[in-house]
Amino acid sequence: MTRYIIRRLLWVGLVVVLIVFLAYVIFFLMPPVDPARAFAGKRPTPEVLETLREQFGLDRPFYVQFGLFVKRLVIGDEYGWPGFGFSYATRSPVREELFQRALVTIQLSLGAAVVWLLMGIPIGILSAIKRRTFVDRFAMGFALFGVSAPVFWLGLMFLYIFWQKLGIAAGTGYVPFGENPLTWLNHMIMPWVVLALLFAAFYARMVRGNLIETMGEDYIRTARAKGLSERRVIVRHGLRASLTPVVTMFGLDVGTLLGGAIITETVFNMPGLGTYVVRSVFQGDLPATLGVVVLGALAVSVMNLIVDIVYAYLDPRVRYA
Amino acid sequence: MIALLTALTMVAAACGGDDGGGGGGQDGGQDGGGEKTLSLAMESFVQNCGFDPTCEFVSYWSMVYTNVLLRPLMNYAHVAGDAGGEIYPDLAADYPEVSADGLTYTFTLKDGVMFGPPVSREVTSQDVAYAFQRMASQSQGAQYAFYYEGVIDGLEVQKEDALDIDISGIETPDDKTIIFHLAEPTPDFAFRMAMPATAPIPSEVADCFKESGEYGRYVVSSSSYMIEGSEDLDITSCDTMQPISGFEPERTLSIVRNPDYDPATDDPALRSNNIDKFVVEVNTNVDDIFNKVVAGELDTSPDDPPAEFLREAVGTDRLPINAVDVLWYIAMNLTQPPFDDIHVRKAVNLIVDKDGLLRAAGGETVGGIATHILPPGMGGPTPEEYDPYATPDFAGDLELAKAEMAQSKYDSDGDGVCDAPECKDVLLLSRNEAPWTEYNPILEDNLGSIGIEAQTRELEGGVAYETMSTTSNNIPIGAHAGWGKDWPDAATFFEALFTSAAIQPGPGVNNNTSLVGITPELNDERELELTGNLEGVPNVDAKFDECGALGLDEGRVECFNELDVELMENVVPYVPYRWDQEAHLISDDITVWEFDQNAGEMSWAHMDVAG
Repeated sequence: MTRYIIRRLLWVGLVVVLIVFLAYVIFFLMPPVDPARAFAGKRPTPEVLETLREQFGLDRPFYVQFGLFVKRLVIGDEYGWPGFGFSYATRSPVREELFQRALVTIQLSLGAAVVWLLMGIPIGILSAIKRRTFVDRFAMGFALFGVSAPVFWLGLMFLYIFWQKLGIAAGTGYVPFGENPLTWLNHMIMPWVVLALLFAAFYARMVRGNLIETMGEDYIRTARAKGLSERRVIVRHGLRASLTPVVTMFGLDVGTLLGGAIITETVFNMPGLGTYVVRSVFQGDLPATLGVVVLGALAVSVMNLIVDIVYAYLDPRVRYA
Repeated sequence: MIALLTALTMVAAACGGDDGGGGGGQDGGQDGGGEKTLSLAMESFVQNCGFDPTCEFVSYWSMVYTNVLLRPLMNYAHVAGDAGGEIYPDLAADYPEVSADGLTYTFTLKDGVMFGPPVSREVTSQDVAYAFQRMASQSQGAQYAFYYEGVIDGLEVQKEDALDIDISGIETPDDKTIIFHLAEPTPDFAFRMAMPATAPIPSEVADCFKESGEYGRYVVSSSSYMIEGSEDLDITSCDTMQPISGFEPERTLSIVRNPDYDPATDDPALRSNNIDKFVVEVNTNVDDIFNKVVAGELDTSPDDPPAEFLREAVGTDRLPINAVDVLWYIAMNLTQPPFDDIHVRKAVNLIVDKDGLLRAAGGETVGGIATHILPPGMGGPTPEEYDPYATPDFAGDLELAKAEMAQSKYDSDGDGVCDAPECKDVLLLSRNEAPWTEYNPILEDNLGSIGIEAQTRELEGGVAYETMSTTSNNIPIGAHAGWGKDWPDAATFFEALFTSAAIQPGPGVNNNTSLVGITPELNDERELELTGNLEGVPNVDAKFDECGALGLDEGRVECFNELDVELMENVVPYVPYRWDQEAHLISDDITVWEFDQNAGEMSWAHMDVAG
C-alpha cells in the first residue's frame, strides 16, 4: 500500500503539471486579449505596453514562461513558497490571496459536505427501507427538487426568505471564525445548505438505489436467516457494500468544490477561490487564474487518491500492489 | 465517520483562517461612538494598476484620490454641473503665474499642507517634482504620462529610476516654488496639473517601489483623509514596510481622517470633510448590494442598480441622476466599404433608431439621446440646439436614410437600398452583454433596411475594444465603444478619437477607430497593416491644432464646437447615440448627496450621512 501511495503521489504531481500546462496554453497562447493591454489604461503607449509585458514576464517565449512558472511553483519566488507570482490587477502576491481564499472555500466545501452527507445518506436509507411508501415518495420528491433547482436561484431564494423577509439569517458575506464563531456560523449556514441540497439529492438517490440492489443480494438473505436484527443487517452488511460508490463520488465532489464553489460564493459574497477565479478570468488576470487552476487540480487529484485508499479499506477485495 | 472526519477538518480550516474579509454587513450611516461612516459596496475593485496613483487610470479611484486622499496643485470643486468643471488651486496657494509667451507656469505651494502618517511632514515642491519623475520612469508604467511628455521640457519617459531622472523643464528653486517650462503653449496645462498622478508623493516611501502598481498598498495621504492603518506603516527602511492594513485589494478599502491635515490650508468649496470614515467593500452579489442599500445596511454603491431597483426608486430622492460626460457611439471605419462613402455614413446616421437603443438600455434614467459628439456638459450644444441628422422622435427615418443612400456609389439603381456586394456580410462588432445584446437586433434591422446586411459578432467588452482598436483587423463598424473625458476640455475627446497622431499600430492601441486622417503614407510609416480605401480620408488635424492652441477666453470652446460640426457633417465617423447618466441608489442615511462632475462619480468630498 505504501508503494502504491507513493506512486500515486508522483502521478498527482504529473497530472497537476499537465493540467497547468494546458491552462497555460489556453490562457497564454490563446488569450482573448493581450494581457498587458488589458491593464494598460484607455490610451496605452508602446512604452507602457513594453513595461507591462516585461514586468508580467510576457516578453519571453512561451516555453520559457511556462518553465519559469513551474520552477517558481516548485522552489518558490520572492513572495514565498509555493510561488504564484503577483496579480496583474492588484500587483499583490497571488500566494497570500490564494491561501486566504482557499481556507474560506475549504470551510464552505467541507461544511456543505457534512450537511449533504447528514442529509443525503439518511434520506437515501430511509427511502430504501420504506420503498414505495409516502416517505419514499416524499424523499424522492425532495431529491428531484434538489437536483432541479439551480444553485443560484436557491441562494437568492434563501436570502430573500430567511434574511430579507424573516430576518432570521445573516445576510451575505463572511466573518472569520476567530472574529466571532457564532456570527461565522450564522453566515455559513445558508451557503452550506444551498450548496449541499444538490449533492444531498444526488446522494439520496444513489444510496437508495444502491441499498435496494444490495438488500436483494444472497448474503443479505443469509444474514437475516442467521437471526441478525434488521438494523444490523442494513448497517453492517447492506450499507457497507452500497456506500463504496458514495465514497468515490464524495471524493470527486469535494475535490471539485475545493477548486471553488463559484455560484454559491458569488451569491453569498464569500471571499473564496470561486469568486477569485471569476474576477481574475474576467479581468484577464492570468497569474491569479493559474493559481486557482493549480489548487483545483491538486485538490481533485489528492481527493482521488484519498478516495482510492478509503475504497480499499471499505472493500477488502480491493488491494493495491 | 466520513462526516465526522470532514467536520473536524473543516473546523481546523476555520480556526486556521485569517481575516478573510468579504463583508460581514456593516451598517450604513452612523457607526459606533457617533462616527459618521459612509458604507459602500461594489462588485469588484476594478484596478488597472493596483491603486498606485502614478499609473492608475480608473475613474472611480481618480475620484477617491482627488476628493479625499491626495492634493494636486490644482483641483476641482467636486460638485455637479458646470461648477464641477471649474478648476481651483488646491496644493497651490493661487492660480499659476503664466508667462506672456505661455511657456512658463510658476506655482507657489501653500504653507502647512502635510503628508499624513507615517511621513507627517510638510509637502514641498520637490515632492511634486518627484511625482513627475515617477511618471517619467518607464518601469512605473504611468498610463497618462503622454499628457506631460513633450509638453514639459525635458520630460521623457525613460528606463531610469525616478530619482535618477532629471527633468530640465521642472525647477524647484525652494521648498515652496515649482516652475514648469513648456515646450509649447498649452492652454489646458492647469487642468493637467489636477490629475492624480501629479499630486505630491514622498520619495522616502515611494522610491522603495520600482515597478508599476507596487506603491498602491502604501499610498501616503496629502489630503484630509488617509488609508486606515497608515500610522502603522514602518518606513524605517524598504524592507520593513508592510502593506497598509486598511486596503486589501480584493476585499476592502477603509479611509479615515488624516490627523496631520489642517483645514486652514483648505477651501471648504473643494472639501466639506463631513464624513469620518469611508468603507468600500467588495460584494460579488449585485442584487444583494442594492438590497442592503434599500435596507439601510449600506449607503450606496458606485455600481449600476439593476432594473428592478431603478423602477422602484425612479422619481424619488433615493435615486439621484447626474449627467456624466460620456458618449456612446457606433464607429464606422472610413477606409472599409461601404463606410468609405460619406453618403452611406450619413444614411446610417439617419436610420439608426436612437430612441430604441436608449429604451433598450433602460430609458431616460441611463442617459439622453446624443446628436453629436461633444456632450452638453463639456460645452457642446443640446440636441435641441444641434441635431444634424434629426428624425422624428429620434427613431430613425427610412425615407431620409434612403434618400441619402441613393447618392452613394454602392446604390447602383438609386432606390435607396445598397445593392453592392460590399453591403453583404458586413461585420458589426458589438458586446456580448446587456444592453448591447438588446441593441444588436435593432441595429441589424436598421442597417438591413438600407441594404447593409450586418453580421454581428458579440465579444466580451475588453476583447471588443482590443479587436477594433487593432488596426490590422480592419473592422468596418463597431457598436461597442464609449468615451469619457480626462478633464473638462474637448481636447480630451477629439485628440484621441480623431487626430491622425492617435492612429498607432499594435493590439488594442488605436482609439481613432474610424481612422480619420489616415493616408497611405501613414499606413506604411507606422506599419498599420490597413487594407481598404486609404485615399481621400478626411483629416481634422489642422482644426484640432487650431482649437488646441486657444485659451478658454479665446474661443476654445466655440472652436471645438465647430470641429464637432465639421466631424458630424463633413467627416461623419460616428453615429453618436447616447450621452450617459449615472443613477445612484442611496439609503435614507445619506443626508447630503453630491456628484463630482469631473470624475463622473459620487463626491466623497461633500457627501454627508446621518450622525
